[in-house]
Amino acid sequence: MRHTLRENLSSGGIVAEEPGFRVVEPSRSVFRRKRFLLPFGISVVVALAGAIALFASGTVALPAQEVLVVRGMIGSKRDFFQDPEVKRLLMAHRIQVQMTPVGSRELVNRDDLDDYDFVFPSGQSMVEVVYERRKNKSTNPYRPFFTPIVLATYADYARALRDAGVVREQGDGDGLYYDLSVPALIKVMQQGRFWSDLGTGNNNRVITQIPDPCRTYSGATYVGMLAFALNDNHPPTDDEAAVRLAREIKPLLDVEGQHGDDHAPKYLAPDGRTFGTVVVIYEHQFLAHQLAVVERTGQPDRTRALLYPEAQHETAPELLAFTPAGNRLGHLISEEPALRRRALELGFRVLGPSGETSDYGALSEHLRARGLPTPTSGIGDTETWLPNRKLLERMILEVGGCA
Amino acid sequence: MRAVLALVLVLVAGCTSAPQPVTLTVLAGAELADLGPVLDELRRDTGVDLRLDHRGTIEAGEEIRRGARHDLAWLSTSRYLRLAGTAVPVATSVMLSPVVVGVKPGRLKENSPSWASIASVAGLGGLRYLMADPKVAGSGLAALIGVATAAAGTGAALRPEDVRCDKVQGFLVGREAVAAAEDLADEYVRQQDQLDAVLTYESTVLSLNASGRIREPLEVVYPRDGIVLADYPVMLLKPEKRAVYDRAVAWMTGERGQRALMKTFRRPVDPAVERTGPLRAELGTSLYFPGSQQVVDALLAAYDRAGKPGRVVYVLDYSTSMAGPRIDGLRDAFARLTGFEGFRVGESVTVVRFAGSVLAADTVEVRGASDVAALQALLGGELEDGTAVWSALDVAYRQAGDGAVVVMTDGENNAGMGVEELLAAWPRPARTYAVRFGSADPQELGRVAGASGGRLIDAEAGSLAAAVREVRGC
Repeated sequence: MRHTLRENLSSGGIVAEEPGFRVVEPSRSVFRRKRFLLPFGISVVVALAGAIALFASGTVALPAQEVLVVRGMIGSKRDFFQDPEVKRLLMAHRIQVQMTPVGSRELVNRDDLDDYDFVFPSGQSMVEVVYERRKNKSTNPYRPFFTPIVLATYADYARALRDAGVVREQGDGDGLYYDLSVPALIKVMQQGRFWSDLGTGNNNRVITQIPDPCRTYSGATYVGMLAFALNDNHPPTDDEAAVRLAREIKPLLDVEGQHGDDHAPKYLAPDGRTFGTVVVIYEHQFLAHQLAVVERTGQPDRTRALLYPEAQHETAPELLAFTPAGNRLGHLISEEPALRRRALELGFRVLGPSGETSDYGALSEHLRARGLPTPTSGIGDTETWLPNRKLLERMILEVGGCA
Repeated sequence: MRAVLALVLVLVAGCTSAPQPVTLTVLAGAELADLGPVLDELRRDTGVDLRLDHRGTIEAGEEIRRGARHDLAWLSTSRYLRLAGTAVPVATSVMLSPVVVGVKPGRLKENSPSWASIASVAGLGGLRYLMADPKVAGSGLAALIGVATAAAGTGAALRPEDVRCDKVQGFLVGREAVAAAEDLADEYVRQQDQLDAVLTYESTVLSLNASGRIREPLEVVYPRDGIVLADYPVMLLKPEKRAVYDRAVAWMTGERGQRALMKTFRRPVDPAVERTGPLRAELGTSLYFPGSQQVVDALLAAYDRAGKPGRVVYVLDYSTSMAGPRIDGLRDAFARLTGFEGFRVGESVTVVRFAGSVLAADTVEVRGASDVAALQALLGGELEDGTAVWSALDVAYRQAGDGAVVVMTDGENNAGMGVEELLAAWPRPARTYAVRFGSADPQELGRVAGASGGRLIDAEAGSLAAAVREVRGC
C-alpha cells in the first residue's frame, strides 16, 4: 500500500497534520472491514514511527512535507536501491523506495505486476515481456545506467584458468581483470575436469556457478552466452537448434544442482573461497567491492579477479514506471546529478540523460581517480547475441526444468 | 475510520524519540533460541518485537507449505523450501553459519580432515557423535548431504543415481545420539562424557566453547571436501507486515544488527563488517547442493537404514590364472577399502574363495579395527586349478540373505554347477555385482548379475581397486 504522509514538526515532536492518506491496496472493500481497521491503524503508526526514526537518527531532516513511498519490483539492480547513500539522496527528495527483490524472469511473469509503481528488470528481453503485458497501460522507460554480465573468481583460480588456456590477463589490469574465452571454458567444463586437475585444492568439477536461469536474467543470459559460443558465434535461429544446444548445455548446469539467487554477496564475503569459485555476477558488484576496499585500505583486493567474456553481452536494464510516483523516481535517478554520481561510485556505467552512451567513459575516469585500474570489456570483434526471446525461453525451459 | 485517525494522532503526539512498539510472530529455527539479547536490542532500537516460535528447519518448511499463521519465518536456509517447490516469499539473508564438526582434541588425527576420513574413523567406532534428526532439523540434513556428496566423489551436485549405492552407512555408525530438535547445545552438555563430537552449526560449537558448560573444549573442523552454509533468510509470510519487516531487516543487516548477531557467533552477511575471534577462520570448499527432492528423500531413507546390520559376500577367484599381478591387485583392492568404502561396525562380511571347487567360506562380524585385519588375513590362501564360479555363487547365495554379493573372476567356468543350474536353483538371487577381468565370459556373468538386479563391471577397462570401491555399499 502507498501512504502519502503529511508530517509537521512542532514543539518537541511530530504530529500528523492533516493526516490524509491515499490507499491504493488493499481495495476499499477490504479497507472497510472492521477487523482491518486496527491492524491498519497500527501499520500507519508504524509507518509514521519509521519516518520519525529516520528523522531521529539524523538520516532525514524533514520540514512539513510528504514522504512518497514508491513500490517497485527490482531484479539485479537492487544493490543500487539498498545503498544507504542512495536512500538518503532519495529521501532528500522525499522519496522512499519499498523494494521487492525478485529475479527478472520471475518478475515479469508475476501476477501482481500491475500493483507496483515501477519495475526494474535487468535486460531487454524481459523488458519486452512487460510491454506486452501492459499493452494499453502507461509504461514509461528510464535507462539510468547499465553494467555488463561478467564472471568473477579468485586470483589463484584465475591463474589456474590462465594456465589451462581459458583466460588471459589484461595488460593494464594490475591482475584484477582477465579476458575469457567462453569456448575454451566450455571445453574444460565438458571434459569433466576437476579444479584439482588445474592445480587448486578443490575436488569440485570446474563449472561456473550461476543464478537460477528460471528466475534471473543473468542466469538466462549465461545460457545464451554458452549457446552462442557452442554455435560458432551465432545465436540459434530455429527451434531445432535451440533445443539441441540446450541439451548440450544442460549437463554443465546440472553439476551445480540447485542454483542460487545472486552469487555476489557470498562470493564477496571474507570467509574464504568457499562459495562460488567462479560465479556469474554483474560488473558493478565487483567494482563496488573494489572501490569500497580501496577506500578502507588504500589498496585493491588482489585476491579476487574479474573475467570479461571476449564476446561481450551488453545488458539494457530499464526502469519501467507505471504511475506518476514511478515516473518521478525514474526521472530522478536518470537525471539528478548526485544520484548519477552515486551510481558511478557503486560501479555502474552511467548513461546520458536520454539514455545515450556519451558518458560511457565516466566510470573509467572514476576508477582511475580512485586508484583502480580500468578494465577493457569485450575485446573480441564479436558481441554475444542472444537468441530471440521465444527461443531463449525454449532453451531455459529445456535446461532449467522451470516450474 | 475516524477512530483510527484519532488513535494515530494520539499515539504520534504522545511519542518521543522511541519508535512505537509492534510485535511480529516468527516461525524460527530451534537453534535461534540463543538470540534473546539480539532481539532485545532490536526492540530497543526499532520498536519491533519479534516473538520466536521454534521449530526444526525441515519441520518449519512443511508448516509454511501448509500455510503457517506466523508473520515471518527465519530459518537456516530456504533451499529445502525450493526443493519442495514452495515459492519463497520476500526473503533477506541476515547472517551465515556453516555446518561443522565440533570435536574433542585428539579424536581425529588429521589436521584438516575430509568427510571421508571422518567416515573412516566413525565407521570403526572411533568417533561417537551427536547430530540433529535430519527429518526435522536443517543441520542434520545439511550434514547428511555434505557426507553423501563427498562420498559420491563426483565433484558435482548429487543426482538420484549417485545415492543408489549407500555410502553413508559407515559414517552413520558414529551416530551415538540424535537430538530431535535443532538446538544441540543442551543435549551435548548432558551427554558430553559419552561423546567425541557434535555435528552442528559453527555458532553452536563456538557458543558451547564460550559457555563454560563443557569439560573439554571442542575444536571446530571444517570438512575440507564439503561445507554446507546456512544463510538464515528472514522471510515475509504475511505481505501486510511488509513495512515492519523492512524495518527489522534493515536493522539486522545494518552495522548494529550485524555486530549484535556476531556476538552470538554468527558470521555477518555484510562483507565490510570485520569478523572477530574464531570467526576469522576461513571455511573449506563448499559443495554443490542437490537440485532435486528425490535425492533428499533417498538420503533420508539411507539415514533410516543406519544401524541395521549389513551383509556382503565376496566371491573371489583363486584359480592359478590369477597368479601374479591379478591376485596382488585383488588383495591391494581390499586393503584400500577405507573412507566411505571402508568396512563398518555391524557389517557381516563373508569371503568365499574358489578354484575348481569352493576352497573356503569364512565370515567376519565387524566390531572394530581388529576385525578388518582378520578380513585381510582371509585373503592369504593359495591358488589352485579350475574355475567353479557358479558353484561358488551357489554357496554365496546360501549365506547372503538380503545382503549383496560381489563376485570377481578372470576365467570361464569349467567345473561344478552350470549357469543354467544356478539360475534354476536361484531364480531371484541376492543382488550380485560381477567384476570381470581376463577371459571371464561377460555374457553369462551379465545374465546372473542382471537377474539379481545388480550389474556387470568390467575391470579390464579400469582398475580393479576402482571397481571394488565402486560397488561398496550397493
